[in-house]
Amino acid sequence: MENNILVCEHITMKFGGLVALNDVSLNVTKSSITGLIGPNGAGKTTMFNVITCNLKPTLGNIFFEGKNITGFKPYKIVPLGMARTFQNIRLFENLTVLENIMIGFAHKVKYRLFEPILKTPKFLNQEKEIKIKAFELLEKVNLKEKAYLKATGLSYGEQRKVEIARALATSPKLLLLDEPAAGMNPSEKIALMYFIKEIKDSFNLTILLIEHDMKFVMGICQKIYVLDYGAKIAEGTPEEIQKNPKVIAAYLGEANVKG
Amino acid sequence: MLTTVLQQLINGLSAGSLYALVAIGYTMVYGVLRMINFAHGDILMVGAYLAFFGISAFMLPWWVSFITAIILTGFVGVLVEKLAYKPIRNASRVSLLITAVGVSFFLENLFLVLFGGVPKAFPIAPIFHGVLNYNQLYLPVVSIYTPIVALVLLYMLLYILHHTKYGMAMRSIALDIDTTSLMGINVDIVISLVFFLGSSLAAVGGILWSTQYPSINPLMGIMPGLKAFAAAVLGGIGDVAGAAIGGLILGISEVLIVAFFPSLAGYKDAFAFLLLILVLLFKPTGIMGKELERKRF
Amino acid sequence: MKRNTILTILSIILLFVFLYYASHHFSRYTIIILNNIAITMILAVSYNLINGITGQFSLAPNGFAAVGAYTAALLSLTPAQKQAMFIIDPIMPFLGSIHLPFLAALIVAGLVTAFFGFILGFPVFRTRGDYLAIVTLGFGIVIDIVANNAITITNGPLGLKGISNYTNVWWSYGWLVFTIFVVMSIINSNYGRAMKAIRDDEDAAVAMGINTFKMKMIAFVVGAFFQGVAGGLLAHLITTISPTLFTFFLTFNLLVIIVMGGLGSITGTVIATIVIVWGSELLRVFDQPMHIFGITTPGIPGLRMIIFALLLILTMLFAREGIMGKKEFSWDWLFNAIKGGIKNGK
Repeated sequence: MENNILVCEHITMKFGGLVALNDVSLNVTKSSITGLIGPNGAGKTTMFNVITCNLKPTLGNIFFEGKNITGFKPYKIVPLGMARTFQNIRLFENLTVLENIMIGFAHKVKYRLFEPILKTPKFLNQEKEIKIKAFELLEKVNLKEKAYLKATGLSYGEQRKVEIARALATSPKLLLLDEPAAGMNPSEKIALMYFIKEIKDSFNLTILLIEHDMKFVMGICQKIYVLDYGAKIAEGTPEEIQKNPKVIAAYLGEANVKG
Repeated sequence: MLTTVLQQLINGLSAGSLYALVAIGYTMVYGVLRMINFAHGDILMVGAYLAFFGISAFMLPWWVSFITAIILTGFVGVLVEKLAYKPIRNASRVSLLITAVGVSFFLENLFLVLFGGVPKAFPIAPIFHGVLNYNQLYLPVVSIYTPIVALVLLYMLLYILHHTKYGMAMRSIALDIDTTSLMGINVDIVISLVFFLGSSLAAVGGILWSTQYPSINPLMGIMPGLKAFAAAVLGGIGDVAGAAIGGLILGISEVLIVAFFPSLAGYKDAFAFLLLILVLLFKPTGIMGKELERKRF
Repeated sequence: MKRNTILTILSIILLFVFLYYASHHFSRYTIIILNNIAITMILAVSYNLINGITGQFSLAPNGFAAVGAYTAALLSLTPAQKQAMFIIDPIMPFLGSIHLPFLAALIVAGLVTAFFGFILGFPVFRTRGDYLAIVTLGFGIVIDIVANNAITITNGPLGLKGISNYTNVWWSYGWLVFTIFVVMSIINSNYGRAMKAIRDDEDAAVAMGINTFKMKMIAFVVGAFFQGVAGGLLAHLITTISPTLFTFFLTFNLLVIIVMGGLGSITGTVIATIVIVWGSELLRVFDQPMHIFGITTPGIPGLRMIIFALLLILTMLFAREGIMGKKEFSWDWLFNAIKGGIKNGK
């Protein structure tokens, strides 16, 4: 138990009469890469929104490092060490790449409102420090030369990297990635897989990711949870999940609908 | 005492029905486009002026003039949407709001320049003439008609929303505009219809308003517009029935406050604003509103 | 860095040298317009902080300017003047006896207005949605109602007269430089970055650990402070204030300015203020009867407003970025441009 960085107990989320999540429990082991999969509309993103406190669950509790964070204000969980990315990349489009990264450090800024006006040493030093750290981060993701470009001027893959780097700037212990491989071609997906593994080791992270692409999840996750119609239908290692008849049925059902 | 209360209640009901008629237009537009149509109050004013000219300048029978005014105002609403809002539908919300403020200011000043700022006497239609006198109860005929008209129109609107193809399309756009357009529904036509219906109702409100106070001026739409918006938020923005209920609550509480605290009469128009702040503080989703992002209409 | 600071200080000195010259050689009319430009610019720059930088649509400036103007005027008038002026109902005892020097009156006016900003912002910033616009629009109307009805404080529709003509180019441009300095300092700090992040994507800003309520509140309240000060400066420029002075047209005018200059660009706001204030003086010709080719047209007082309204709508439809977009002037940019120009010249 102590080895779990995140524990979600019996999460139920209702919107009016619609049950989006029904009694979902999941644990994320420290230093693991855990996957959350399921067909479209299974409730994966809703689960992310509950974990990041953007939605307060109708029932159930969320523990982060043993601390009950249910009902916290969403911005307050970032200093605790949880950061996320979004399904459709959401960068601050009028800011430069560098400024986007610097926003990640915002919650650590200690100076008060009057200090930028008086240009106190504390203000000047912290600003300098944030800039240096942001550049270091950009160097690690190979985007240093794009620092002064508008974030929207980058390619899709680069934007995804900036978004992840921005989340890394908050110094998370747990990183939640919402469909990081969406919209990528197979070779980009493989590169992203290596990238995620690499940052996991170099930043000492635990990662929970939502993904639609089974191959991607199987190749990267140690443990997988499967949602369908808001309920957890399976959990286990990639091998176990691949053989699970319920999972196969859920995905086949979707394929039939789509087909 | 009882007669006073009853008298005030009926006055409040009448005023509240007017707010309701205007609030519905706000809430429908907010539902489909998620914007506050600042020009909605001025559309009310346009409706009142059109009815006025129909009777005074074109010498039309009152009912012909009213119907023409209501339909024309509906088209003015559609025109505003087509010219000013549609081109920037996908821009930021602030852009839409700014444009709406611009349209509002434009309409007010256009009418000021064209017809002057001096209030004009509004001709009262024959059926609205007179006062019923019953047991010390003085009821102007128009304040009896107003709630009835509002109720009938509300019923018709709810019928359209729930039982016709276009009504369903409106509710569907309110939920998710992109998916709706993917499903082969012509979003532009449906949005035009929303503006047509909302603006026509505002015109009805404007005509009844002008009959009650019997005068019109180019700035007359500002105050009812602001109050009706407060009513829409009170009822839960995006919810048509909620807007109507919010309008009634606002109208009745305004009248009652002045009745019981005459010293506050000068501040009557500030009450709606106070109510808006209180709703935002304690129940931002309003009386009927549930999940703002999920349910509309 | 050093060079840029020196250049900035030099240009401010140059501005004040110009003002010194202007105050000795320009006509009274021109001086009033110069003051008008400075006060409008204070209003517009602080307005852009909430609308353009933070992306929250406020319509508060006329209400805020009214609060500032009344507060500053009531504080700077002498007790004897106030006693003589309040003829319908006597003034409230505390307000009647208080008397402050001009600077103190302006600062208190700013603080009182900032407090109103806090009260307005509190319910609004807790919720998502565009309620700020409608709440601040309502605020302007309520302030008008209060100014007309709270006679023991505001003297009702009669307004306040005989306010000392303290405001001159030194006061107005002094406050203008201070306003721009403070607003730019906030923009170029973590606070400003957070505000822009909220403007661009509020959900993502929350996911970065930004307290959006606090940041919106700071932008709104700081703006309110300077709008209150500007109201105080205005009261001491025109010396007579009444509820009719602070109509929605004031806010509308500022909206046109910040949209034309570019929402989010202080440089753009500065340029647009000069253009609009000056242009609006030129447009006054429409208010008077005109004689063109022997034909006399009557004056149409509302035509200016229609032109402003059309200007706003057309800018939104066809030139949404305004003059400057979200860009700011900087000395580096100027030097690079000059260098580029020289290179191209060769």
